[in-house]
Amino acid sequence: MSFISIDFALFVTAALVVYYIFPGKIRWVALLIASYVFYTWTGFGNLAYILITTVSAYVCAGLMEKKAAEQQKYLSENKEKLTKEEKKSYKAEVKKKQKLILAAGLILNFGILVYLKYADWAIAYINLFRLSRFGRTDFIPFRNYIIPLGISFYTFQTMGYLIDIYYGKYERERNFFKFALFTSFFPQIVQGPISRFGELAPELYKEVSFDFDRIKSGFYRVMWGLFKKLVIADRLAAYVSETIAQRETYKGFYILLAVFFYSMQIYGDFSGGIDVALGVAEMFGIKLAENFNRPFFSKSISEYWSRWHITLGTWFKDYIFYPLSLNKGIIKLGKKCREVGSTLAGKKNPLAGPMTGLGKRIPIYIPMFMVWFTTGMWHGSQNRYVVWGLFNCFFIILGTELEPVSLRIVEKLKLNEAGALMRSYRVIKTFWLMSFLRIFDISKDVPSAFNAFKLIFTDWSSFRLAVVYENLSLEKEDFIVAVIAILVMFIFDLVQRKGSVRERIFRLPVPVQWVILSLLIVAVSVFGYYGPGYDAGSFIYGAF
Amino acid sequence: MDTIIEILKSVHPEIDYETENGLIDKRIFDSFDVVNIVGELMDEFDIEITAEHMVPENFNSAAAIYKLVQSLEEE
Repeated sequence: MSFISIDFALFVTAALVVYYIFPGKIRWVALLIASYVFYTWTGFGNLAYILITTVSAYVCAGLMEKKAAEQQKYLSENKEKLTKEEKKSYKAEVKKKQKLILAAGLILNFGILVYLKYADWAIAYINLFRLSRFGRTDFIPFRNYIIPLGISFYTFQTMGYLIDIYYGKYERERNFFKFALFTSFFPQIVQGPISRFGELAPELYKEVSFDFDRIKSGFYRVMWGLFKKLVIADRLAAYVSETIAQRETYKGFYILLAVFFYSMQIYGDFSGGIDVALGVAEMFGIKLAENFNRPFFSKSISEYWSRWHITLGTWFKDYIFYPLSLNKGIIKLGKKCREVGSTLAGKKNPLAGPMTGLGKRIPIYIPMFMVWFTTGMWHGSQNRYVVWGLFNCFFIILGTELEPVSLRIVEKLKLNEAGALMRSYRVIKTFWLMSFLRIFDISKDVPSAFNAFKLIFTDWSSFRLAVVYENLSLEKEDFIVAVIAILVMFIFDLVQRKGSVRERIFRLPVPVQWVILSLLIVAVSVFGYYGPGYDAGSFIYGAF
Repeated sequence: MDTIIEILKSVHPEIDYETENGLIDKRIFDSFDVVNIVGELMDEFDIEITAEHMVPENFNSAAAIYKLVQSLEEE
């Protein structure tokens, strides 16, 4: 069942009715039932995977907590008898056992995810190796697994929970069914956000009372999400894919326009889907984590990534970046470099500075490389995603390293770094850099992406809007609607800078609020793109 | 406490660490800054800071960092 279907609208309505009929204290049970009905609807076979994740995480969290309780009991019973060193060594022993339990949970769950997503990718390389090395043509057949809906999202969310239990951040959820709701809550299962237990659990299990204003507010958000998805993203999709596929014919400005439109498409698609998820959750009285914070207004790539797909970024930061940065081996390596640096400084060797600098950078750049490599892999089992990830990493490092130079230039030119001119320059530069990197996303492989990028700079004079209208699945009316809708989205983001747009709307007289909502509904119904080849079921991030 | 403030000043000298209590929440420190500060703290106080300590509450102010260092020194 897609988010954008009559089935889903009816399902949410029925779930809301049942939810608010249930007594307040057990409304979460209605949510659990709804979540499992939704998930079963997407494919009965998918149930096994989410159940394995739920049961294994529940068991592992229980075992880790048991070890912690045993430790506490032992230490309090032997408080007087044990020396400080003995206590420390006992604690280390318990931590080791907990680590083994955690590792088992992580290996099982990430193992399933990696196997399903990357088996064919690995098989392709094994076949290639066998052919080139031994001339074998008896290729291993591809598995063509159907990836269960939202497996990346619920696996990451649940494994985050498991790691947090290992760290002792929260007490585990003892009620299996409540925990099952945490792993399966239906609005967020398709494409996130990836929630943290500490934030989501209290929302899911709290007693929610019926509030019409909240339902109205959630509905507004759902409609706004549909506007971004149906009026903008789906309208532009065909132009983008056709132009990139026929880039030798439609080069220059056609590709540049496709690159711009793809940025609008993916933002409309992903943030629109997230708006639907958050809006639906809001109708149930549940606040989910925000996943976007007007990313196209970012002044640097690192800022952009703290405002785009926020919950995935913080997941990688907390569970990959920090653990690697604080890994003893990496810290030792950094320290060693700094020591060599200070020895060289004593000898007035010119390499002293770079060596010390390297020592400081190692605990940051190695983990960052791993984060971006994994981010690329997370997006898909094709090399182009890995290359895309590593390019992001490269430009972040370049930006960091060149910052002093850039500031010096700004100073020399007597420009105001905080002024509108410099801010606009940085925003536009970041937008286009990120948009160009997305060429990897829309091309079929790495060489095609480089080729498309190269072709942007050729034959600009051949561009004709009439050709776009006639040959490239973006008729004149669609083009005009897309441009107006993008402007509306831009203005919305500008207004949002000063606070919630919906709160502003709700301060207006009631008839005006209804006019705005009606206009939104009309816009989605009339201008929503339901053209040829349109697949309402698919969200780009749903495939990740 | 003075040593901690000195370390913090080496990363962002413009901040008044006596009063500021939103170093992470207000995004004054990014993850790069935090990693650098943690490295300095571990060197200076001979303590082991691990990923489980990497929560905003531990790094939002000089006082919170001081508290974290103290608790790790006691372990």
